Amino acid sequence: MIELKNITKLYALSKVDEVRALDDVSLTVKEGEVVVLKGASGSGKSTILSLIAALSKPTSGEVVVDGKKVSKLSDNFASIFRRDSIGFIFQKYNLIPSLSVRENILLPLVPLNPHAKDAQKKLSEVMEIFHITHKADTLVKNLSGGEQQRVAIARANVNNPKIILADEPTANLDEKLSLSFIEILRELKSLNKTIIIATHDPLFFNLDFVTREIAMHNGTLQL
Amino acid sequence: MMLSPEVLTLFILNALFLFFAIIAFYLSLQIFLKWDRSSTCQVQYKLEKQSFLAATIIKYIFMIKVPLFLFFIFTLDKISALLTGAMCAAGVVDATSYGVYLLILKILNLYIFAYWLVLHREDMKEEEQPYTKMKFGVFLVAFLLLIAEILLEGVMFNAIDIHKVVDCCGVIYSSSSGSYLSNIFHLSTPMLLVLFYGTFLFLLLFYFLKYRYIFALLNVLFLIISLITLIAFFGAYIYELPTHHCPFCFLQKEYNYIGYFLYILLFIGTFQGVIVAFLKASKSQIERRYKVALLFNSLYVLLLTLYPIYYYLKNGVWL
Repeated sequence: MIELKNITKLYALSKVDEVRALDDVSLTVKEGEVVVLKGASGSGKSTILSLIAALSKPTSGEVVVDGKKVSKLSDNFASIFRRDSIGFIFQKYNLIPSLSVRENILLPLVPLNPHAKDAQKKLSEVMEIFHITHKADTLVKNLSGGEQQRVAIARANVNNPKIILADEPTANLDEKLSLSFIEILRELKSLNKTIIIATHDPLFFNLDFVTREIAMHNGTLQL
Repeated sequence: MMLSPEVLTLFILNALFLFFAIIAFYLSLQIFLKWDRSSTCQVQYKLEKQSFLAATIIKYIFMIKVPLFLFFIFTLDKISALLTGAMCAAGVVDATSYGVYLLILKILNLYIFAYWLVLHREDMKEEEQPYTKMKFGVFLVAFLLLIAEILLEGVMFNAIDIHKVVDCCGVIYSSSSGSYLSNIFHLSTPMLLVLFYGTFLFLLLFYFLKYRYIFALLNVLFLIISLITLIAFFGAYIYELPTHHCPFCFLQKEYNYIGYFLYILLFIGTFQGVIVAFLKASKSQIERRYKVALLFNSLYVLLLTLYPIYYYLKNGVWL
């Protein structure tokens, strides 16, 4: 389902200085798999996620998702691909603090211009799954870290994407909230979502529902 | 050298276009020579990034060039007040031997620029970007024409001698004039009208037959014949003066700026008609362009036809 073929990614720091974030990486993730990418900061975990989500392009190599060459998509088509196929959970949630929970979750639906009834139905479903119905009208800036994380997950799922990408999702959560987040991932796995988590949080290691753990070091996979 | 604020504005804008166009030309040349959509190597990804930069530059140059053409005409009109004998833009165009060629080049460039914009739009609609190589190839040609236009524009304004007496449009566009244009007045009015309405009827016929190459060719023919009949026949009815045939004066306020409307109708209609021969778009998209071409050309014909009819009803005679 997700294929990374000989991916190299260089970040130019200046005209002469560049960082090799990924070095000839190849990886295949099948539908319904839960993969944990683990490694120290700067090992290339987040770069892999951004390439799969077509947020950035490789320096060389190819990313294919569901047969679509996402690394070759223009910005317009990459946006459509992300909107339809990817749910992205960020480390810092990336919510809009001045909007309510309801408004934040509905944001990914705005470009689709859905019928109000359909949007409401999707909203109700995800708020129920992630237990935030009672906070629907609360401004996001007034929520706790754990609640904000749940809103971020709900927003990532409102379009019902096949793939969930989570980048250091528990970095700002305490252990209790992190364990609660892991339970949410378990639920998502039961919905046959393909999940890739980039983390160095040991709570994610040796989980029963995780298909594979892949260690990364200096832009390479330690298979 | 004539350096009115309007001419200076044109020169400054031309300098900016030149600067950005050279960057776009360099990038376009690389893309045209090395583009391989299927490749996943570093060079291709770099070219893909560059293609967005180059396309953005070209798009903005062309989008400014279109209204700038109208500003160019406005400038000619404005500086006509400084030339003895000139009454409108026509006098300035005729003041040097470069004017007509510059005008023709500008019109040609407008069509090429519009063609590039359509190609770019079609290219960005498809995931596989099928027109990328072609559109940058077209730009390589357009760039040379743009340079020629900028140079010719500079040469023309430089060659204008404000001490020299020039002809007004009444003389330039009259049958007694010795200009190339005056030859069109030797065509009889019935012949001109048969050509004008005949070409339009053929356009109509090939709209239904959907022979796109013939339809495109007829649009080119229609453009030329339309401009000739506008000057030689319909112009007189717009001005309500049998001796006034200027293709510029009806751009002025006295004639409700009707010229802008007429030229825009003709440009969009014929452009959409020509473009059907050059696009490999879907049937529905081609059909849409056929319809737009016919609609705008029909409006042009209808609007021009109303002028003599209105004049006849008002005065009971033909000019």
